[in-house]
Amino acid sequence: MEEFPPAPDVAGTSLDGTAIFTITADENAALCKSTGVEPASDGTAHPIYYYIATQVAMGKTVAGVCETCEFDVDDGPMMGSSGVRFAEQLMVGQDYKVTGEILSLVRKKSRKLGVMDVLTYRLRLHPAEGGDAVLETDNVWVLPRKELAA
Amino acid sequence: MSAFAHVKTGYALPPFVIESVSPDAMRDWSVFLADPNPIHLDVEVVKAKGLGDKRINQGPINVAYMMNMLMTAFPGCRIETMDSRFLDNVYEGDRVVASGEVTAVEGNRISCDLKLDVDGRGTVNAGTATIVI
Repeated sequence: MEEFPPAPDVAGTSLDGTAIFTITADENAALCKSTGVEPASDGTAHPIYYYIATQVAMGKTVAGVCETCEFDVDDGPMMGSSGVRFAEQLMVGQDYKVTGEILSLVRKKSRKLGVMDVLTYRLRLHPAEGGDAVLETDNVWVLPRKELAA
Repeated sequence: MSAFAHVKTGYALPPFVIESVSPDAMRDWSVFLADPNPIHLDVEVVKAKGLGDKRINQGPINVAYMMNMLMTAFPGCRIETMDSRFLDNVYEGDRVVASGEVTAVEGNRISCDLKLDVDGRGTVNAGTATIVI
């Protein structure tokens, strides 16, 4: 029998965004340089924009997602994993929008971290004018529940 | 003949190296990510939180290093899928090496195992990817 209360029931919470995200040539160039490469000359953006665009243009901030999970962002959420499936390459100058949702929030006990909630959410990046997603990403965050530590 | 005819299962991808992780890049990424978390910007905050005595690289930058390794190994190709697990932090000044190995070649798709190592601390990120050539 678990000795701690269940995680908040947040599965299904919408993360649809209203903001438009555009990868500018200047920012793409700066980002590429910051990671040690030159920007592509064919108009494609660095693929790490899968993470940036979806995080920045989703319907909640990181702090807001944490708040939905009844977790204080100042308590230090940790990235667990990130996966992406690209249908198309990301393009500089293209306007994008985000849809998505929280998939699950599961409370666990870890030898290293104590009680923690494992948050999984899915985001999709679409052309702003509409149409199928150009990518889908699943991110997993670990939310340490210090207040539930033994 | 394909430019990647030499790529077979077991082929070791050329490593991609960052000699010293830059706190200036972390500052830039706090803007890119619209996330001014001070553990990436302020050593005193890192110390206060008991997380060490150096600024901590944003996780997505570490993924970008592995993507750079893939794009350098397969120029002109595209990443179709990629998964990565965050095993440990990367800190300012760390020397990091992204590397990989081909696990399967099926038609125009190449599957790879990936990892990111920090000198002296081992693997801090690991994952898989599929490349369309």
